[in-house]
Formats: sequence, C-alpha cells, structure tokens
Amino acid sequence: MATRWRLRLPPLDLPLAVAALGLTAIGLLVVFSATSVPGAHHGLWTRQLVWAACALAAAWIVAGIHYRVYDALAWPLYGVSLLLLVLVLVMGSSAMGARRWLDLGPLRFQPSEIAKIATVLALARWFDNPRRDLRRFLHWLPPLLFTLAPFALVAKEPDLGTSLSFPAILVAMYFWAGMPAGQLLLGLTPVFAAGAYLLMRSQPGGQWFVLPVVAAIITLWAVARPRLHAVLVVVLLNVAVCTVLPRVVDHLSVYQLRRIETFLDPQGDRYGAGYQVIQSQIAIGSGGVFGKGYLKGTQKALAFLPMRHTDFIFSVVGEELGLGGALTVVLLYALLVLRGWRLALVARSGFASLLAAGLVTALFYQVLVNMLMTIGWAPVTGLPLPLISYGGTALIVNGIQIGLLQNVALRRQES
Amino acid sequence: MQPTNQVRDLRQRRHTLLVALALAGFGVVVVGLLVLQVVRQEHYAALSKENWVRLEVLRAPRGAIFDRHGELLADSAPSFSIVFRPFPAESAQRAREVRSTDWLARVSTLVQLDSAEVRSRVRFANRSGQSAVLRRDAPFAVLAAIEESRGELAGIEVQVEPLRHYPNGTLAAHLLGYAGEIGAEELEKRADRGYRPGDLIGRTGVERTYEDLLRGSDGAEYVVVNAMGRRVAQPREVPSRVDPEAGHDLVLTLDLRVQRALEEVLAGVARGAAVALDPRDGGILGLVSRPAFDPNEFSHGLSRARWRVLSEGGANPLLDRAIQGLYPPGSTFKLVSMTAALRGGVAVPQTRLAPCPGGMNYGGRWFACWEKRGHGSLDLVGALQHSCDVFFYQLGLRLGLPRLEQAARDYGLGAPTGVDLPQERGGLVPGAAYYDRRWGAGRWRSGLLLNLAIGQGELLLTPLQLALLTAEVAHDGRPLRPHLVQRVVGRPEFRPPRPAQPGVQLPAASWDAVHQAMELVVTAGTAGAARVPGLRVAGKTGTAQNPHGQDHALFVCYAPAEDPVIALAFVVENSGHGGSVAAPMAGQVLRRLFLPDSLQRPWPRAAAADSARRAARDSAEAPRGD
Repeated sequence: MATRWRLRLPPLDLPLAVAALGLTAIGLLVVFSATSVPGAHHGLWTRQLVWAACALAAAWIVAGIHYRVYDALAWPLYGVSLLLLVLVLVMGSSAMGARRWLDLGPLRFQPSEIAKIATVLALARWFDNPRRDLRRFLHWLPPLLFTLAPFALVAKEPDLGTSLSFPAILVAMYFWAGMPAGQLLLGLTPVFAAGAYLLMRSQPGGQWFVLPVVAAIITLWAVARPRLHAVLVVVLLNVAVCTVLPRVVDHLSVYQLRRIETFLDPQGDRYGAGYQVIQSQIAIGSGGVFGKGYLKGTQKALAFLPMRHTDFIFSVVGEELGLGGALTVVLLYALLVLRGWRLALVARSGFASLLAAGLVTALFYQVLVNMLMTIGWAPVTGLPLPLISYGGTALIVNGIQIGLLQNVALRRQES
Repeated sequence: MQPTNQVRDLRQRRHTLLVALALAGFGVVVVGLLVLQVVRQEHYAALSKENWVRLEVLRAPRGAIFDRHGELLADSAPSFSIVFRPFPAESAQRAREVRSTDWLARVSTLVQLDSAEVRSRVRFANRSGQSAVLRRDAPFAVLAAIEESRGELAGIEVQVEPLRHYPNGTLAAHLLGYAGEIGAEELEKRADRGYRPGDLIGRTGVERTYEDLLRGSDGAEYVVVNAMGRRVAQPREVPSRVDPEAGHDLVLTLDLRVQRALEEVLAGVARGAAVALDPRDGGILGLVSRPAFDPNEFSHGLSRARWRVLSEGGANPLLDRAIQGLYPPGSTFKLVSMTAALRGGVAVPQTRLAPCPGGMNYGGRWFACWEKRGHGSLDLVGALQHSCDVFFYQLGLRLGLPRLEQAARDYGLGAPTGVDLPQERGGLVPGAAYYDRRWGAGRWRSGLLLNLAIGQGELLLTPLQLALLTAEVAHDGRPLRPHLVQRVVGRPEFRPPRPAQPGVQLPAASWDAVHQAMELVVTAGTAGAARVPGLRVAGKTGTAQNPHGQDHALFVCYAPAEDPVIALAFVVENSGHGGSVAAPMAGQVLRRLFLPDSLQRPWPRAAAADSARRAARDSAEAPRGD
C-alpha cells in the first residue's frame, strides 16, 4: 500500500536537476557573501533571489511545452534574436566601452544570451534531416553562415567571450550531426592558422607559425583521406590566410592595430586585466584547502577583487570555501555537462538530440572559459559563470537552457 | 525520426569522445586549483596577508614642440603630485584610520581641497586599488608639510609626474593649444586607446591635432608593497615591467622671431588676429589671436570660475580668431576679382572701364565708392592700386557670379583650408546655389555681384584664408595647404598633406600686372604705412563694414616683392580703416624682420639664385613645351 503514497515525479533527469539547483543555491550563497562587504551595492542579493525564482519558473514553463513547438518556431526565433542583436548595436546602452544591453523600461538584458539559444534551435532544425550529407558543400555552408551572423554582431559590441561561444556551438553540432572528423578538423585549419599568426606575430621568429599548421594539414590528410578537391580548397584557404593576414595587419594604422589587440584582450590593456587576474589568483590561492570561511574572505572584503560578484565570482568561492568548495562546484558542473551529453545520446528524436548537444556545449564552453580565466590560465573575456554569477538575464537564460534539457529528458522515448 | 543503427554507433563513439573532452577540460581546472590552493598556497596566503601587489603606471612623457629653428615651445617638466594609495588587504586598522574625520581634516587642509572631495577620491582609490591624485603640481611649502607629517598620515605619498609646460606663456597660445586632464565622457569614448583617469589630453591647437603622436604610451609595473605602502620586492610571477614610450617631438614651421614680432604689434589690440605664411610651401610662420590665454593655467588645473571667464567671457580668449573668426574680406577680395577677370578674359591689365565719379547707379540703387570725390578713369592696375569700388562694381558685372565664385574656390576660400589645427571654419563664398537656397530659385538679382566684387555682401573669410590667398597670389596662383607641423621626430615618413584646391593659372604677364598693382598699393596707394625702406612690399588694404559697430581693419601683404618669403594677413576688429590701422602693423613687422638693427640679424632673404617664383614658373612652363 505504501506505493500509493509514493511521490510521482515526471521522468525528469534527476542528476541534472540536482546539479542545476545545487549550483544555483551555491551561487545565491556566494553572491550574498560577495555583496555583503561594507560600501558594496546593497539589495543586489534580494534582486538575485527574485531572479532565481524567475529562472526556476522559466525552466518549468519551457520544459512543459513540447519541443516540437520550438522546432517549428526555430527560424522565427532566430530571426527575432538577430533583430535584437542589430538593435543593441544601434540603440543599446554601453558600459566600459561596449554596447551589450538593451533597455526595456525597467528590464535590461543582453540579447547575445538569447541569440545563443535561438542559434542552437536553428542549427538543430537544419541538421535534423535524414537527407543531410555534411560532406556536401551546400549542406554544410548554410549552418556556417547562420552562425557567422550572430557571431559577427556580438563581436561588434564588442563581446569577444560571448561571440566565441557561437563557433564553439557550431563545431560541436557539426560533430554531433555526423560530419566526418577529418573534414571538420581540416575545415578548422585556416582558423588555427589565423589564431596562431595573431598570437605569434609579436614574438621573434613568429613567422614559423605556418609550420604547425602545415603539419596539421598533412597529418589530417593522411588520416582522414578526404576528397582531393576538398584538400585543395582547404590548402588554398590556409595559404590565403597566411599571406593576406600579415599584409593586412602590417598595413593597419597603430590605432587600428590597438583596436584589434583590444578585441583580443577586451579589458583594453593587459595591465588592467592583469590586475584583476592577479587579485583573483591571490584570492583563490590564499583560500587553501579549507578556505577562509564563509563571509570571511579578505581579498573580497576590501574590494581589491574587482567584479567579484559577476565575472570573478569563482575566486570568492575559492577564497572562502577553499579547494573543497571549488571542487564541489567543478563536480556539479561536470555532472551537468555529462548528463547533458548523455541526454543527447539517448534522445530518440534527431532534433532533441542535437538541441541537447548544442545547449550543453554552450554551457560547457562558458564554464570552462570563466574558470580558467579566474585561475589565470585563459584571457579575461568578461563571461559570467552560469547559474552562479550575479545577473538577471544570464540566470533566466540559464534557467531556460536547463528547462530545455529537461524537456528533452521528459520526452526522450519519443521519436 | 528514429536514428538508424549506423547513426547510433557513430553517436556512441562520439559521445565517448565528448565525455573525454569534458573530463579533460574540468581536469585542467582541477589541476589549476591544486596548483594555486595546495602547491602555492603559502605564497598566496603571504601575499594576501602582509603584502599586496600594486600596479604602478609609468607615465609616458608627452612629446615636446619646437619652432623651425629648434626653439622650445612646449615640453613636459617633472612636478610633484600628492597622491593617496590604498592599503593592503589585511591592514584594516589603517583603513579605519583613513576613514576617521581627523585624518580627513588634516589631509584636506594640507592639500587645500574640500574634505568631501578628498573623501570621494579616497573611496574611489580603495575601490579600484589604484592611487588617486589629490593635488597636482603641489608647491614646495605643501610638499615640505607632507614630508614632515609623513609617518602620521597613512596612505599619503608624494609622486613625481610630468607636467605640461609652455615656457613662452601666452605666446603662440592658440596654435599650440593646451593639454588638460581627460574628462569622464572622453574617457568612455577613448577607452580602447588605453586612456586612464588623470591622463592629459590635448584639447585645442597642435596639442589636439597631434594628440596621438604627442601622447606616447604609458608603461606599467607591478610592485609588491607592505602594509605601510612601502615597496618591498619585485614579484616574480607577475607580468614584467613595460617601459613607457615617450611621445614624438614635433618641429613646427613656426618661426619664433616672426611670432614674437606679430605678438608685439598686436599687443594693444583688444580683438583681432594675424597670420604669417611662408608662400613657398604654405608653412605657418606665425599665428596670433587676440585676446590670448596662458596654456600653463590648464596644466595646474583650472578653477571653475576661471574656466568660465576663459570660455564664456564676452571676448572669449579661447577662440582662435585666426582660424575660427569669420570676417568680410573687404577690398582684399579685389585680388580674387582681379585675377578672376584676367583669367576669364573679361579684362586685361590695361582695360579701362567707365570713369569713377564717386559712385554708380545700378538697378535704381546708388552704389558708392569709398572715395566720395571719385577716381576718374583708371585701368585695372590703377583700380587695384587705388581700390576703386566703382571699377570693381563694373568688373563684377562683366565677370558674373559663377566665374567669381569659382576663382575664390580655386584659391581654397569658402572651405576649411585643411590646416592641421582643430575646429577650423570654412567661411562663406556664396554662389548661385547659396542664393537659390536663401531667396528661392531665381528670386535674387545680379546687384549682389557688385557687393561681392568688392568683398562685401555675404562673403566671410578667416584671417588664415586671407593669408592663404595672399601667399598663393605671391607665387602666381600656385595652390598651398597651410600647415604647422614640418617634421615629426622619429617619423621620417611624415609629410604635410597636399592642397586640395587647384589654384589659379594665369599667363606670367598677367601675374606681373597683379604683383605690380599690389606693389603700387604700398608705394603710391592706400597702404603707404606698410612701406619699408630697402624692401619691396606688395599688399592690399581692406575695410570690412561691420553692422554691429566700427569697421574691421584688414591688410594683407607679401615681401620681398621680387621673391616673396613671407605673406601676412592682419584683421583688427572694430578699429577703422585697413590702411591706417592694419597696414602700419605689417610695416612694423617687416621692419623688425628685414631691417638690420643693433640687436639682431635681419631675417634671411632668399638668395636670388633660388628664387622660388622663378622656379615655379620654369616648372610650370616645362610641360607646356611638349
């Protein structure tokens, strides 16, 4: 008879839900600590609490509607999100030299966050088609263009960190949609070449950046054995990048160059960013294994740690809760990501599977870049930590992401 | 759609790869955490407890500015600023000390600053972790007082900073401009160029146009300081020191001797301007605007009241009248009318028009000549010499509006000359399009041509444009681009830009007539006061009618007439006739420059062999040969 009283939960993915709720709870605790120092912004925490409730509601609603609806609405949603990105460039409000926010009366939000979800939906719809053959030019080019549009608009704001999540999503979804690995890597070589050039141009002997690229192409060719004309196109693209880019860079004026450097290192000069990173490292390092104790952080207390409640929230975790706290957070994220990829594997509908893969990639990218930034192993790009950092839109969008993942979980048996 | 078995296999393999990727990614984060929190924990704990890493900005010295002979016009001298430095993390006691009213009261009396202001700057410093300047260029007495009570005033330090210095004070103030502390709005706009609060930025003059070259780039260095704010050691794991890069020095075309001479003759002028151009290349030799200001005032930081006096006072000393003041050119514009007529074939130098009886009737209106008694019968050369209005009324009617307007535009009038000074105004040279817009198409009559031909009516030019016109006439209508910077030290590729206007081409004989007429203006015409013994001067007077008060006096000239090396333009507001007010000033300047006196050598005349005018004519004729 006991079974009659058993709570009948819908078939949610429980580990995923636990991870998301746990991270949100930890986020609320740490944001409270980060904003509780004297002289800091009061009332931010209560606001964050309201946002968290909204995020939960958003997740609930999003999970309740069948994903077929999102499938059908993918293109209109994508169009609206592009429109918002254009709007933000035209009439967005700016802070620290970048236009990222749209003001809607009392609401203030970043359309780039919404564009991420819309792009995942659009890509999932495109790839979910049994006739897609990603070896064919006309089948893989359109998704590249759909992704380049939001990428370019967000990069123009400028918001390098967020803009780079678009290519990350695209690559993951190409991969998940079945593009041959060799082709995918070959296609990425011009990007590697450009990146290698920009990274190495200031170093002596930097012109040898071509060597690893050439080696990569040869290896890939040997391993993947793609069609000859594809290899020719890729080699030509690489040659073009290697010859055109240095010329373009040399012909730029000092200020245009500085703009590009600012783009690569958005905090303006590396000393501005370097300062934050050093403070963040001191905060995390001095936390040690056990931490200084909740609400007892010293780096944070005297406000030496900039952006402690937003982008650098992870350093407050490290300082106050120590290695234990930081590892707990890392484990919860790992759980989230692994469950997400598992959902992509078990979902029987192609759209749902692709949707899950894209959403999880976006989350994974953002978590990784943010954490590496706070420990000083990645450039400062101004990405918040999902579910934990202070910020209204970000939290609600995270809620929607989790809600969509649960949506897939609820209907994983449907095809 | 159900995935096929093949797809399922592929996904299974790829899923394994993605899991590996996730584990690797999070693994890197875990390794990073272990390194920071376990391996190097003691190191960071020490840093957070006792020491604190601080960023020191090493300010780049702003480039110096020299005249063409290497005389210093502006440089940066070290000065002492009083700054507040925030405290290391754990010295909470000292942080409390700073918040005490006693500390605030003592500091604000010492630096002579409002205590609320001190409090807000200290708060900003604490929040940003960077030091805040409380007093720039502190006098010695304040420094001594700070030094005395150093141990007792937590966080207060003396710091050496470069301060902009203009050794000649008000001299050449308008063309040099000044540099002031960057404002919040500009800071936001230029955030991507590495400007920081407290940075200097050029606001007017050369300081502004060449801001990007003069500025240089700041360096930076991380230092570890102890709880007392003293420097302890160089930390190993922070980015290494970046040395500041000094800004580029500028060498101007300015000649300090010319500038001084201009400043002196304009010393008593309430409002006016003078410009001296080198007619051979368009370099500005001197540029004066009255009233003037002292750019050094801005380096020390200006009180609000003083700023209001400078920027809003009726005379507006910050206005550079030489490039922003718009004046009717008056009779000096007859140079344009005359050359336009020669070019259009409307007249030759010997052309005689109806004699001047002291005025003429046109369209039922009486147009007076300035000479009420009349000039009688004159040819074109004589008409310019005596500035006969009636002759030019007739010439204007023969010429027509389009040809007159085109000539003015070909000299570069009616549009900014493109000089390397900010906020230059272009003046107004009205054409048919302008009148159509103002009065409606076809609803205006040719009577206005009479006024334009003698430089009245809607015409408006800047003193710089007057000097440009004179310099171009001096060298047979060759177009020039006025410019101030001759050379940028460390930038050999720097070249002053080329002129945008085509200039005015006439046969050499026509130019000779124009030059002869201008010389006659000085020797036997309206500008006798500009005569200099032993020097051939060619000029033209002008008197601009001013509806709001007394007329403006104008005079333009160049010398030596046989091979011009200087072109001058003077505008003196509300002072009377050009011939009696402005022309004597030119004479005084030329005497100072060209006549030997006991104190200084005369200004160098070009040797006859390298006559620029002859060279120009030779090169102009060469292509005609083939």
